[in-house]
Amino acid sequence: MRPLIRTVSSRGSRRRFRAVAAIAIAASLLAASACGGDSGGGANADGEVTLRFNWWGSDTRHKITQEVIDSFQKEHPKIKIKGEYGEWSGYWDKLATTVAANDAPDIIQMDEKYLREYADRGALLDLKKADGLSTDKFEPDTLGAGEFDGGLYGLNAGINAFTIVANPAVFKAAGVPMPDDKTWTWDQYTQIAAQITTKLNGKGWGTGAYGTNDASLNMWARQHGQSLFTKDGKLGVTPEGVTEFYTNLLKMRDAKATPTAEFTSQDMNAPLDQGGMATGKLAMSYSWSNQLNALSKASGQQLKLLRLPSVSGKATENGAYYKGSMFWSISSRSKHPKEAAEFVNYLANSTAAGNLLLAERGVPPNTEIRAEVAPKLKPADAASHAFIQEIVKELGEPSPPPPVGGGQVEKIIQRYTTEVLFGRQKPDQAAKAFIDEVNGEIK
Amino acid sequence: MSALSELGTLRRKKPPGHKRGPGGGAGKKATKDNLAAYLFLTPWLIGLFVITIGPMLASLYLAFTDYNLIQAPEWIGLENFTRMLSDERLHNSLRVTFTYVLVSVPLQLALALLLAVVLDRGVRGMAFYRSIFYLPSLLGSSVAIAILWKQVFGTEGLLNQLLAQVGIEGKGWISDPSTALGTLVALNVWTFGAPMVIFLAGLRQIPAMYYEAAAVDGAGSWRRFRSITLPMLTPIIFFNLVLQIIHAFQSFTQAFVVSGGTGGPSDSTMFYTLYLYDRGFGNFDMGYASAMAWFLLVIIAVLTAANFVASKYWVFYDD
Amino acid sequence: MTTETIGRTLPASRSTAYGWKRVKPLLIHGALAAAALVMLYPVIWMVVSSLRPGDEIFREPGILIRDLQISNYRVGWNALTEPFTRYLLNSAAVVFGAILGNLVSCSMAAYAFARLEFAGKKFWFAIMLVTIMLPIHVVIVPQYILFSQAGWINTFLPLVVPKLLATDAFFVFLMVQFIRGIPRELDEAARIDGCSKTGIFLRVILPLMVPALATTTIFTFIWTWNDFFSQLIYLTDPKMYTVPVALRSFVDATASTNWGSMFAMSVVSLVPVFLAFLLGQRFLVKGIATTGIK
Repeated sequence: MRPLIRTVSSRGSRRRFRAVAAIAIAASLLAASACGGDSGGGANADGEVTLRFNWWGSDTRHKITQEVIDSFQKEHPKIKIKGEYGEWSGYWDKLATTVAANDAPDIIQMDEKYLREYADRGALLDLKKADGLSTDKFEPDTLGAGEFDGGLYGLNAGINAFTIVANPAVFKAAGVPMPDDKTWTWDQYTQIAAQITTKLNGKGWGTGAYGTNDASLNMWARQHGQSLFTKDGKLGVTPEGVTEFYTNLLKMRDAKATPTAEFTSQDMNAPLDQGGMATGKLAMSYSWSNQLNALSKASGQQLKLLRLPSVSGKATENGAYYKGSMFWSISSRSKHPKEAAEFVNYLANSTAAGNLLLAERGVPPNTEIRAEVAPKLKPADAASHAFIQEIVKELGEPSPPPPVGGGQVEKIIQRYTTEVLFGRQKPDQAAKAFIDEVNGEIK
Repeated sequence: MSALSELGTLRRKKPPGHKRGPGGGAGKKATKDNLAAYLFLTPWLIGLFVITIGPMLASLYLAFTDYNLIQAPEWIGLENFTRMLSDERLHNSLRVTFTYVLVSVPLQLALALLLAVVLDRGVRGMAFYRSIFYLPSLLGSSVAIAILWKQVFGTEGLLNQLLAQVGIEGKGWISDPSTALGTLVALNVWTFGAPMVIFLAGLRQIPAMYYEAAAVDGAGSWRRFRSITLPMLTPIIFFNLVLQIIHAFQSFTQAFVVSGGTGGPSDSTMFYTLYLYDRGFGNFDMGYASAMAWFLLVIIAVLTAANFVASKYWVFYDD
Repeated sequence: MTTETIGRTLPASRSTAYGWKRVKPLLIHGALAAAALVMLYPVIWMVVSSLRPGDEIFREPGILIRDLQISNYRVGWNALTEPFTRYLLNSAAVVFGAILGNLVSCSMAAYAFARLEFAGKKFWFAIMLVTIMLPIHVVIVPQYILFSQAGWINTFLPLVVPKLLATDAFFVFLMVQFIRGIPRELDEAARIDGCSKTGIFLRVILPLMVPALATTTIFTFIWTWNDFFSQLIYLTDPKMYTVPVALRSFVDATASTNWGSMFAMSVVSLVPVFLAFLLGQRFLVKGIATTGIK
């Protein structure tokens, strides 16, 4: 690329420009992408600064976030924030396109999946170097997820933990008591789930299947002394580990603890409120803690969070960690990093914002804000907040964010889980293929 | 001579039309029309050079680079193309796409033709039915489609409820890798509105005198369809065929929406463009995605050209 | 109408014909109604869901409503940061511009391709066909860069200006086919009367292809109204969002979605296109029939 860009922009390029006119059009477009452009929002004469702020979510989040923007602008009349929102998949298409065109928004709501994808390529600002952004009040374990290579590229916007969510009503219908999640093992968990399936007699199943996202494999790996990804951005699981993961999955399926392959396959990409948990088909399933409210609302039941079972029956060894439900990032090409940092600081550390956002993006990682908003939470959010507090003593090390290319792992694991459940591949075949493919994707 | 065999003569008796149309060749007037022609083409040419060609050539250039959207592209020669040779998911997506094109295009066109023929009758309320049958096509790529489709083909969808009525146990049609593609074919067939309308128009254009001649001959309705309707409709069938094939090869939205962007279950609905999108935007590998796009362009271009060549043998033009 | 003519001229060849003739329309109606019901099941389900309380939508099977309520429409209309009216108006503006652009520019290009002889015609025609063969996903980034250099992001210009420049090759191709169906003798007659090329285009071709223009109008309406990707990419300010972009803003796969509102607004957004089709289908059918696609 470099020579072509120079051809177009340097002095002696005119002849060649004419010769390859058409290609040059293309190249000049790319040159534009590589060497700067107008990223919108500048400062005008009276020092007013305009920032663009992007997030994904549903209509509730759009409204609440707009209220936060309004309240920030009231306090900072010189800073104007333009909110831009959309749904998940379109959000990432748009972000990639705007970053490619050097037209990225200043403040970006970021996900763990894509954090390193952007940060490693220099698109995000190191927040440690940002003026006026404080993380003093943050729970220490919550910063690690956005930290790598010595920089902080994403500030945790809400704490999440991977859990089992249980529907007490289905347990009751099956006449099975709620388990003690502090001591249960995978075998006990399988037994309980199988028992529920039997008692429900075709009306539902004990638990959803795992392997429908990367978190479940990561938790499994952490329980076995591994980790899905290592700190230096490599794959941290072995073929044997993944084989065992899938063998246990089949074992649970054969014990009728989990639903049919068809059900699982349909469930893994169903929107949260159409999944087996929301429709009351499952007594238990895997979920992120911050989805408790949405799941409860969708199912019409007060659902309950449980710890994941472990191999040893000790909750401290079940691999739990605090994940960032999402992150705040700042574009490295922002013209106003100081003001952007000020706004992120407001989002993370001001009680005014905290009181508006509550647990919309997960339990606040800022302990002071958390204490402040705790009494105001809706019952389900209060429950997930209590759960997050409860497991703090059991946490392991934070899990390193996926390396560049690691964002694809969720789709890959879904695919191999489907292959295994439908009996199209044996666990060891799938494990090997999974590892080969992930290694091919990681850069 | 029977009326039917006379048809051929009838057709040939029509006044000879000018040799015309695109590719009709530059005649004597060639120089004369140049100025006017290019004036008329000016907006299109500006659009072509400023808006269309630039990005197209950019993507062609990118096909030879490693480009992750964030950093400047790096020239890597043919590497993207050689990688395509050994990319099994790409081969799978080609299989899926070809299967889809081969099955859904004929089915969709056949259904569109059948309904067009039925709706062409002078029965009352046909305008109403036409609108009803067009309605699903309006939904097109709406997000709601994914949910609606689950209401039909999901484990508890309409289809399984109907099957249960006759004592057959259904399955998760969308979630089973062996049937998921079938539901997308059904989805495509379901939205047959556009080709149906074009067929209807084509039917209206067949001169009534042919049918009258056939009636004198005592031809039954099947015979009339075979000997008049079908041959007279071949230009329209060809038109729909070409467009629907191009369209089906680029099919993206429906699979994207129904599978939640994954092309699942198990890559069974991973269309070529879906995989291309996945590489480009999901995996930040826009160089490879561009290479894939140009490979698809070549496939479509070759097939379209072949279609045009083959049309000489089965498409009947009235001029 | 063809079939009616046949009906009248065909002698009733069988003795049962009379009875059959009375039964047959009934059978056809029955079959069509059944087919329509199957075809419409998902649409009906959507309308029904828009009238149900949000939490019942996925728990109640079937399409029977027990508790009809229209609150989804009221809530959905104001669920986003702007009232839904705004999105409808934005979409209408884009649709209007796109229709105008396609009508003017595509008909001009089509006239040149169909009627004028010029150097490089074959070449340009092939180029035009090729431009519809490349998937949009690889040109969107360079195109975005182009428009952002022009300062057009977050305006309707990237959605409308390309139409003014006939980049929708599909319609050029369609109109070429239409114009080919217009007898050339008419051009000749006009030429002898002293009409220039422009005169022929304006006085002969355009009036004769009014049905083709109607076809273009309707298809442009429907496709632009439903187009999601480019509208998503180019419009950033929620005040500028169009209907499809707004509709997707209801959906969040990772949390709960207000499905009731989403379905209600989907139904609302379906109304204009359905009306457009209802009004236009007469022209559509007549249009192609009178000029002909070859």
